[in-house]
Amino acid sequence: MEKIKDFFKTFLLIELLKGMALTGRYMFARKITVQFPDEKTPQSFRFRGLHAQRRYENGEERCIGCKLCEAVCPAMAIKIAVAEREDGTRRTTQYDIDLTKCIFCGFCEESCPVDAIVETRVFEYHGEKRGDLYYTKPMLLAVGDKHEAQIAKDRLADSKYR
Amino acid sequence: MSFFDVVFYLFATITVLAGVGVVVARNPVHAALFLVLAFCSAAGIWMLLEAEFLAITLILVYVGAVMVLFLFVVMMLDINLVKLREGFWRWFPFGALLAGLMVFEMVWVLGSRQTADVSKAIVHAADYSNTKELGRLIYTQYVYPFEIAAVILLVAMVAAIALTLRRRAGVKSQNVADQVKVKKADRLRIVSMKSEPKQ
Amino acid sequence: MMDWLLPVQNLLGPAWLPIWTVVKIMLIVAPLMGAVAYLTLAERKVIGWMQIRIGPNRVGYFGLLQPLADGLKLFMKEIIVPSGSNKFLFVIAPIMVLMPALAAWAVVPFNAELVLSNANAGLLYILAMTSLGVYGVIIAGWASNSKYAFLGCLRSAAQIVSYEIAMGFALVTVLMAAQSLNLGDIVKGQHGNYGMLNWYIIPLFPMFIVYLISGVAETNRAPFDVAEGESEIVAGFHVEYSGMAFALFFLGEYANMILVAFLTSIMFLGGWLSPVPFLPDSIVWMLGKVAFVLFLFLWFRATFPRYRYDQLMRLGWKVFIPVSLIWVVVVGAWMQTSYWLW
Repeated sequence: MEKIKDFFKTFLLIELLKGMALTGRYMFARKITVQFPDEKTPQSFRFRGLHAQRRYENGEERCIGCKLCEAVCPAMAIKIAVAEREDGTRRTTQYDIDLTKCIFCGFCEESCPVDAIVETRVFEYHGEKRGDLYYTKPMLLAVGDKHEAQIAKDRLADSKYR
Repeated sequence: MSFFDVVFYLFATITVLAGVGVVVARNPVHAALFLVLAFCSAAGIWMLLEAEFLAITLILVYVGAVMVLFLFVVMMLDINLVKLREGFWRWFPFGALLAGLMVFEMVWVLGSRQTADVSKAIVHAADYSNTKELGRLIYTQYVYPFEIAAVILLVAMVAAIALTLRRRAGVKSQNVADQVKVKKADRLRIVSMKSEPKQ
Repeated sequence: MMDWLLPVQNLLGPAWLPIWTVVKIMLIVAPLMGAVAYLTLAERKVIGWMQIRIGPNRVGYFGLLQPLADGLKLFMKEIIVPSGSNKFLFVIAPIMVLMPALAAWAVVPFNAELVLSNANAGLLYILAMTSLGVYGVIIAGWASNSKYAFLGCLRSAAQIVSYEIAMGFALVTVLMAAQSLNLGDIVKGQHGNYGMLNWYIIPLFPMFIVYLISGVAETNRAPFDVAEGESEIVAGFHVEYSGMAFALFFLGEYANMILVAFLTSIMFLGGWLSPVPFLPDSIVWMLGKVAFVLFLFLWFRATFPRYRYDQLMRLGWKVFIPVSLIWVVVVGAWMQTSYWLW
């Protein structure tokens, strides 16, 4: 009996019709497409986008060249060179992130003791040459300067979970 | 020369050239494609003779099915052309003899009186369907030869399958019927258990 | 019907017939190409909707200019001929795909008068032409000199040859019911007092299903698109083609889809006949039925995953061919009784 039932079930394409009924229903469902440049989905304050280097309020750069981020980076996208500045503080002379290598894991941000390297909410950027995506220290500082208000707000929002 | 003649000679030339191509082409795939061309233009000539059923069947059966399988096999063969071509002169006299014999037979058949009368085309009305006429003849006057031919083909097919069918042990092939029969219960076990306390 | 053309006819004299035939061919091919273009848009839209997306809507209002943009893009692209390929066959293959797909339209009737050639053996002619389409695919796969293309062409050849048999038997039942090979007569055979109930889909329903599914397989559409199989053999037989050469394969595939939709509506759904007795027969019904069958094609593609190759062969040889053979006998026996009402 069971066998006969199975036979008719497969032979009459019942399951295929069920599948078509499902897709047929979905045809009239409300569409969830986000029309990107016009509409945007909400972002978390933990969003990991383009990198930035931050400064203190007095304009002094935060990075002390501890190289923790360079060490933790799984994609080896960060390159740092360190030297002593005239005033005796330890600063980086070179801080490069190769965004074509970066996997946006956020480990650099986690490892930073002074919150110098952060990932911003910026994700719509592009480069027309390979080299355009090789961010050097002045470029990272410029990104930080541009988005400092948003960056500070996001760090504050995240601080209670840490 | 009427339009009819022009079309006939066009198709005839293509058929002959394609036939030569089949023999001359070095690449077996090219030879098979030349044969397809020959079939198509032969179908064109049959069309001129108002034998549209035969013409279309020639395309449908020979071009659409037989030659596809032919090409299928020929494309997958790794043919060593040099090896194939050696011994050409050794077998040439035999081949030439065979070709001569066939030419002689054809001339004999075509030149004989019996077939000469048939060459006059019978003119039919526009709505005359030679499909219907052929069907009527095959299933009345020629029903026994037709059925016997069908049985012979069937026997050949069964024999071919019997020759190639073999059951090997240890073959990892899937049984689709079994796969279709599988139910959720055969593969999935739902366990209900208490959630473990937090460590 | 064409009285107003008489002065032109007299002016041209003997040249009239070839010119008028060419005009008629253009009148079929041009709308067909337009239909192909917009079928691609419809496909993307319908599949989008079924996946809760909205489909292309950026080029022109509602995405209506998208096909033109795609066409322009393909036109401007370079046609790359691989250096290891067989040049002549490589170039001729896309033409061999498109040619039979267009040639088959010669005998397709659009309504009782509108047909290019009212051939007696129309159904056979269509079968012959659709079986020729496989050559383009085989030659493309072989001439590309690429492993993926070759695998795709072997799959396609085996698939088309297997499904053609079941398709042929489905058509045999139709011509048994209609007692004619002429497509116009087949539609006229479905004319009656009861509208829809006179169509051949009622007595031949299993054959309708077999024909529809074989049609999907013959045109290499999902879920039978193992010849292309993007996820296993990249794009199958047309992996080496680019630009217009690729576009020709595309045109051929979609023209074949539309052809199968037309044939399905002619042979099973009563062609231009109205589904209810109180409305007049018109070409609008025909186009509506064709649109419905095409929608089914798109619906299948949005719903089903691709068949595995051995399952596909099993379906063709072990299910469809026996079923269609049995139904040929059933219809034959049925027609000898007094219960045959069609």
